[in-house]
Amino acid sequence: MSARALRPYGLALLAIAVALGLSLAAERVGLEDVEIPLFLVAIAVTIWHGAPGAGAVVVVAGVLCVDYFFTPPLYTFAFEHKDIVHIGVFVVFGLVVGWFAAWHRRTEGELRRAADQLRDEVAIRTRQASLLDLTHDTIFVHDMNDVITYWNRGAEEVLGWTAAQAVGKRAPEFLRTVFPCPVEELRAKLLRTGRWEGELTKTGSDGKQIVLSSRWALLRDSEGQPFAILESDNDITENKRREEQIRALNAQLEQRTLELEASNKELEAFAYSASHDLRAPLRHVAAYAELLQKTASSVLDERSRRYVANLLESAKKMGTLIDDLLAFSRIGRVETRVTLVSLGELLREVLRDIEPETAGRDIAWKVETLPSVHGDRSMLKVVLFNLIGNAVKFTGSRSHAEIEIGCSDSAGKELTVYVRDNGVGFDMKYANKLFGVFQRLHLSDDFEGTGIGLAIVQRIVARHGGRVWAQGIVDGGATFSFSLPKT
Amino acid sequence: MNVLGRILLVEDDSKDVDLTLTALGEYNLANEVVVVRDGAEALDYLYARGAYGSRAKENPAVLLLDLKLPKVDGLEVLRQIRSDDRLKLIPVVVLTSSREERDIVASYRLGVNAYVVKPVDFHQFVNAVKELGVFWAVINEPPPGSVARRN
Repeated sequence: MSARALRPYGLALLAIAVALGLSLAAERVGLEDVEIPLFLVAIAVTIWHGAPGAGAVVVVAGVLCVDYFFTPPLYTFAFEHKDIVHIGVFVVFGLVVGWFAAWHRRTEGELRRAADQLRDEVAIRTRQASLLDLTHDTIFVHDMNDVITYWNRGAEEVLGWTAAQAVGKRAPEFLRTVFPCPVEELRAKLLRTGRWEGELTKTGSDGKQIVLSSRWALLRDSEGQPFAILESDNDITENKRREEQIRALNAQLEQRTLELEASNKELEAFAYSASHDLRAPLRHVAAYAELLQKTASSVLDERSRRYVANLLESAKKMGTLIDDLLAFSRIGRVETRVTLVSLGELLREVLRDIEPETAGRDIAWKVETLPSVHGDRSMLKVVLFNLIGNAVKFTGSRSHAEIEIGCSDSAGKELTVYVRDNGVGFDMKYANKLFGVFQRLHLSDDFEGTGIGLAIVQRIVARHGGRVWAQGIVDGGATFSFSLPKT
Repeated sequence: MNVLGRILLVEDDSKDVDLTLTALGEYNLANEVVVVRDGAEALDYLYARGAYGSRAKENPAVLLLDLKLPKVDGLEVLRQIRSDDRLKLIPVVVLTSSREERDIVASYRLGVNAYVVKPVDFHQFVNAVKELGVFWAVINEPPPGSVARRN
C-alpha cells in the first residue's frame, strides 16, 4: 500500500488520539460526558477526509476507546449491561455521522467535478467564441423572436455596430434587412430543412446598404425544439457592383457587336450594289462614248474627238477604281483560308505574271530564297504582286532598274520580307500616307494606278497579324517591308 | 403578241437593251431577239401566258438573263426554268454586272449554262454579246422544241 492510501488510516488514528487526549483532559478538569461528542467529531472528521476503510477503523477504535477509558468498569474492554445501549447509540450515531460525512463528501466531490466541467466548458466556449471573432465573416445568432443574442467581430466590421449595440435588438428592424422572399417563406423553409441560403441587403451603422450572401442554420435543443438561428453573412457588395459593371459592359459589347454586324451588312450591301448598280451607268457612258467615236468621228472636229476620247478614258478609269475598291472591300469580307504557303513558289508565280510589264526593260533582279509561312495563299500573292508591281512601275524612268527581294528572320518570332528598288522613291514626310486608300504621292499622269495597291497590301498583312512599313529617299529608291508572325 | 425569237433577252435597263441589240445587230441577230423587261414578264413569255398567251409554244434557243430584275429576280427565273420539265432544257446565260462570288455560285448551283460579267469596255461588251449570240443562237444546236432558225 502506498503512503497516500495509508494516510486516511493515519488520520483516523490521529483523530482518535486527539479525541482521547481531549476527553481525558476534560475528565481531569471535571467536565463530564464530553467524550462521546468528541469521538463523534473524530469519526466525522476522519470519514470526511478519509476512505470507507478508515471510517470503519475510526468507528471501531472510537468504540474501544470509549469502552476502555470511559465505560465502567474502567480500563477494561468489558462493559456493564446497562451501557450496551450507550455503546449501541454511540455506534449508530457514529455510523450516521459517518454516513452523512461520506454523503456530503461525495456530493461535494460531484459538485466540484461539475464546477470543473463547467469551467472547462466555459474555457472551450470562450475559445470558440474568440475563434468566431477571428473570422471576417459576419456571424451572429438570433433567437426565434429574431432578437440578436450573439454578434461576432466580423459582424461589427461589416455592419458597423458593436456587439454591445447589437445584442438584444430585433435583427430585421435593427439592420433594416431586405429579404429576397416573404419572411414567412424563409421561416417555413428554415423550419422544414434547418437551412436557408440567399442574398440579403442590410443597412450598416453608417447608413450604407450592404449586399450579403447569407446562410442560416437552425439550432435545436436536446429535445429537437428550435431555439436559435445561426446566421453567417458574406459581404458581396463589391462583387455585386463588379458583376453589375461586367453586365453593363457585356450589354455594351453586345450592342456594339450588333452595330458592327449591321454596319458590316450595310457595307456588304453597299459593295454589292456598287458592283451592280454603279457599274451599269458607267458601262453605258463608255459604250455610248465609243459608239459616238465610231459613228460620228468623221463629223467631229479635233477638239470634240479629244473630248470623246477623254470621256472614254475617264469612264474606264472609274471602272478600274470601282473594281479596285471592291477588291479592297472584299479582303475585309472574305474569310482567310490559312495553309502553309511557300513564299518562294509564290514569288516565282508573281514574277512570271509580271513579265508582260517588264518586257523590254533592263531590270537586274536580286532574289533571295524565301521560306514558307502560314497564311492565305491568294491574298499573300496579291501582297507580293502589288509590291513588286510597284517596284517595276516606279523604276520605269530608270535606264537600269534594280529590284531586290529578300527576307530576314527576327528573333524567330516574325518573318520580314522586303522589296527594294532604285526607283523614284518618296519623301519620308509622306510615309504615313502611303498605305491609305486612294492616296497617291505621284501624279497619275506620271505613274498610272488607282492608289489602292498598298492599302490592299496593308489590309491583307493586318489580317495576317503582321505590319507593313516603307523607307524611301526622293529619287533614291524605296524599300517596302512586311512582317508576318511565325505560328 | 405573236412574236417568235431565238434569243430571249431579259433586261430591265433600256440602255443595256439598246447596247445589247446594237451588239447583236453587228451580226444581224437583232431581229432574232425578244426583249422582256422583268422576271415576271420573262416567265409569262416562257409559259406563253398573259400578254404572250397567243404565241406559238416554242422555247427560245437561248435566254440571256440579267440577275437584278424588278418583280421576279433572275435567280428565281432560273430556278423556275430548271424545275419545269418543259423549260429545263433551255440554255440560260446569265449576263450581269455582278462579279460577286455568291451570285456566280448561286447561278451555277441552279444549273446555268454560262455566266458572263458585262465588261465596262464597250468593245469587250460587244464582243462578249456577239459571241454569246453567235454561239447559242447560231452554232449551238438547241434542244428539240426550240424556235427554228429563220432563213
